Amino acid sequence: MKPPPFRYFRPRSLEEALAQLEREEAKPLAGGQSLIPAMNFRLASPGALVDLNEVQELAGISDANGTVRIGAMTRHAAVERDARIANRVPLLRETMPHIAHPQIRSRGTIGGSLAHADPAAELPAVILALDASLVIRSTGGERRVEAGDFFTGLFATALEPGELVTAVEIPAAPARTGWAFEEFARRHGDYALVGVAVRVTLDPKGRCESCRIVLLSVGDGPVMARSAMRSLEGVDLAPDAIREAADRAGSADIDPPADIHASAVYRRQLARVLTRRALTRAAARASETRQ
Amino acid sequence: MIVEGTYALPGSPEAIWDLLMDPEVLAKAMPGTRRLDRVAPNRYEGTMGVGIGPITAAEFDLVIEVTDIQRPLSYTMQIDSKGRFGFSRGTARVELTPDGAGSSMRYRADLQVGGKIAGLGQRLLDSVSKMLLRQGLEALHKELTARLT
Repeated sequence: MKPPPFRYFRPRSLEEALAQLEREEAKPLAGGQSLIPAMNFRLASPGALVDLNEVQELAGISDANGTVRIGAMTRHAAVERDARIANRVPLLRETMPHIAHPQIRSRGTIGGSLAHADPAAELPAVILALDASLVIRSTGGERRVEAGDFFTGLFATALEPGELVTAVEIPAAPARTGWAFEEFARRHGDYALVGVAVRVTLDPKGRCESCRIVLLSVGDGPVMARSAMRSLEGVDLAPDAIREAADRAGSADIDPPADIHASAVYRRQLARVLTRRALTRAAARASETRQ
Repeated sequence: MIVEGTYALPGSPEAIWDLLMDPEVLAKAMPGTRRLDRVAPNRYEGTMGVGIGPITAAEFDLVIEVTDIQRPLSYTMQIDSKGRFGFSRGTARVELTPDGAGSSMRYRADLQVGGKIAGLGQRLLDSVSKMLLRQGLEALHKELTARLT
């Protein structure tokens, strides 16, 4: 099918793009991997598209003062292959191959995926696990929003009309930090039935100092398994503690949806199993980095 | 698709019955309702527009008929809606029980959703209906509280 008619703008600078986004009914076009199909099915009919693909300043990865900054128009494939990401944000590197298919990753962008806020998307969960912040711009200026405050519901974010995600900033991980990403999909590249991103930091004695467990595809957006996280604080990450935390993550912490692919009960079970695997791997990686 | 649960409302069943049948109050309980008129004693017609994230709000024509009325304790709504993106039809059974100064509302809706929304949005139907229900019940609670005082 073909999309309904729309006006098309192709700005060359961020300033120009932001001015065009002030226009009513204008939507930014990033990689177009979700928006264009929705338009072609005529589910979405924005009056105008502001194509960001020529805005050079929005793409690229930089690393300064311990913070890794990824421009919003950076493609998934570029993040997947970047050596700094592999070294400094290995959780993100481990996640990338799970995101859709190579064709989609070569076109889709980091900022587009975050702003779209699909409840089954991997990146929202991962940046929440990493305590990252989003840099947001409008003609009125720039602000930063922590990942925990950015995702507000089903396909809903803290973005106001006329605002654009310009970058995501990931703080340096403390010493003795381990990480893991796990997901299960019926076929590789499908929307995950459940996924989980885990980050654990150990104290000098080897006990869990802090941890993040963030699940995807089990709610309106990325869901932090809060009671599971609390149960691990100050605890030695032995198999029993991990199993108990994983059980909490699949029970009290989530209210998963049901669809033809998986019942809510099955999603809970997947959440338990995947959280246990991810925590086990993250804990092992954290102890390897212990001096 | 079956959606069920219980929700605490302010006011006794007697006190809120007429309000629950008031099209203006009923419209609050259904997020996205743009217009709802009582066209016969137990029949309502209107339009609603529901847009989720990138999906442009699509307009649906809506017909609700209230049957099996056991005033003030229970009723059934026959719901029929259709629009460019698809249709939904089914029944919603509502039971009210006095609970202290308020009422406990038990609801069970059995809805069929078809057309484009069902085909393309299948994985999201459950989450969307949970979200709309939560918003609707909160709005209903707020509206009843405002009208009872």
